[in-house]
Amino acid sequence: MAESEEEVDVLVQRVVKDIINAFKRNPNIDEIGVIPCPEARYNRSPIVLVENKLGVESWCVKFLLPYVHNKLLLYRQRKHWLDREALVDITCTLLLLNPDFTTAWNVRKELLQSGVLNPEKDLYLGKLALTKFPKSPETWIHRRWVLQQILRQFSAEGQTSKQQQQQGETEQADAERSQQLGDHLARTLHQEMKVCCDAACLYPSNYNAWSHRIWVLQHMAMGNVKVFHDELSSMRLWVSMHVSDHSGFHYRQFLLKELITELSQPLSSATNSPQHNSSTVPSSSPSHHSQAQANGELSGVEAAGEEERQPSFTTIIQLFCQEIELCSDLIHSFPGHETLWSHRRHVFYLWHHWRREYQHYSSNGGSELVHLNDSDPGLQTVGAQSCAGRGESVNGQGHATEAMEVDGASFPELRDSKRLKTGILLPDPPALSSEYSFVSSILDDCCNPEQRRFALAYEKWLDTVIGHQP
Amino acid sequence: MKLYSLSILHKGATKANLLKAAYDLSSFSFFQRSSIQEFMTFTSALIVERTTQGSRASVKEQEYLCHVYVRNDNLSAVVIADTEYPQRVCFTLLDKVLEEFSRQVDSIDWPSGNPETINYKALDIHLSKYQNPREADAMTKVQAELDETKIILVNNLHKLRPSILIEDEINARKQNSCCEIM
Repeated sequence: MAESEEEVDVLVQRVVKDIINAFKRNPNIDEIGVIPCPEARYNRSPIVLVENKLGVESWCVKFLLPYVHNKLLLYRQRKHWLDREALVDITCTLLLLNPDFTTAWNVRKELLQSGVLNPEKDLYLGKLALTKFPKSPETWIHRRWVLQQILRQFSAEGQTSKQQQQQGETEQADAERSQQLGDHLARTLHQEMKVCCDAACLYPSNYNAWSHRIWVLQHMAMGNVKVFHDELSSMRLWVSMHVSDHSGFHYRQFLLKELITELSQPLSSATNSPQHNSSTVPSSSPSHHSQAQANGELSGVEAAGEEERQPSFTTIIQLFCQEIELCSDLIHSFPGHETLWSHRRHVFYLWHHWRREYQHYSSNGGSELVHLNDSDPGLQTVGAQSCAGRGESVNGQGHATEAMEVDGASFPELRDSKRLKTGILLPDPPALSSEYSFVSSILDDCCNPEQRRFALAYEKWLDTVIGHQP
Repeated sequence: MKLYSLSILHKGATKANLLKAAYDLSSFSFFQRSSIQEFMTFTSALIVERTTQGSRASVKEQEYLCHVYVRNDNLSAVVIADTEYPQRVCFTLLDKVLEEFSRQVDSIDWPSGNPETINYKALDIHLSKYQNPREADAMTKVQAELDETKIILVNNLHKLRPSILIEDEINARKQNSCCEIM
């Protein structure tokens, strides 16, 4: 029985209204879905609201979607006028059914720019769409556009407050405003992290969600070491429960790389200054000039010099150790996941390159650094982290001295261990030899053929890629 | 890695009888949950019916892995998981649950009981606890025990043949007609 055009018209308008009313009735709707329902129940709305979940019965979608889609296109072609409220309602309905309809997002961009629509509304709409379409590329793209608008607003407000301060506004009011802005920014950041996480849970290796997450950090938290640290630690459990989610591990690689870069800054800048200022540095060779230029700003860093370098240095090594350890742990617990081995490659490669770039700094402050020697088990038990994985305890002793030889110009050999001024014991840094030990330990007691294959491939990678580089 | 359902059934002569079930469908879209639950209930019973007494199997269906253990006394358990969740831990869970159940619920009630009448309350807790396989039991323990047991991996539910005669099953396995022995 075919519906007449009029009937469809009436039906659809009712449905759109029902959807909008549902949002008005319940501003806490957090999920959308389609309810499998082949036939309409007499005189009942296809819109169902249960416990913050908004459902659309499937029978009505074939009427609803083409109708609103068409209406919006007619508006765009200037063949049919829609007032702002109607536009908001229609695009909302459309995007909940098909969030990859770019035109609808673009109409909302116009509404946003003309001040009719609050950007937060679009973040909310996008979040809802992602509960059903977690990959939707257009949703993520629009989201980034909206965030850019919001960020622009933030910096505009920041400028305003500077002006107002110049005009004599009290420092307190200004501080309050900055605080509010800062809080708002932090809230927005955390909301984005949550949206990305939820979408990542809904679809395995959700590249779009993770790329968005990276984008957000790059635009809203660059240089903020604390945020990167927090993300790294809060994602540990997640990746442990999603061991084949390649994008999740790639995110960790991004975090690690950014943290290392950020923490390495003091390392490169501190060595440009003449060493005589730093009383903490014993006789050392002249500073190794890298790419950074000495300038007036660095003078303050000089005195801090050695102290500032040490924590960063320690932190960096700890980060690498923790990541390798996490990787080893997961590889042991969950045999046969290629993602874990791939992650190990990335982390070790990152380490390998960082070590080569910054190894000369270690010989500068060499005697100040604690280097845990494997042949000194006493110190090893005092809370030090071993990076080498479980195999190390068996093979470590023998390989300790080899590590220095195989790796060539690596950390200075210290037969005596000294404590850092801060009293922190440095963990054993990752090393090629310990990687080989790890592979052996896996091959020794593994019965999973995939695991065996991955271990051998990793060993080959160590041989060909790492082993041949000085 | 996720566990979706955990069920205890009794394998009867012709049919499997559901005694207790626990579900965690929180990762599914809200409006899909009831039909998914139905699918899992149905699949669990079907798998038990088609698995030989005294054996374990892992059956892949779509993106789910169903692990089943049918004991010699016909008390059976099925856990439906995703493909990431380690198989060994699933079998630890099944062993544990069946052992506990058989101590708490008298065998006289197995052939005819149903979820309303059976008094066993720990299934939900076990399902919840095992969501994180490393917080649950040590995995190495099960590995040693399982080495001797052959676990059959079947790639499709529809390939599970009804077990009419034991000889038939053995022959099918010998020919490797539809299964891989793990």
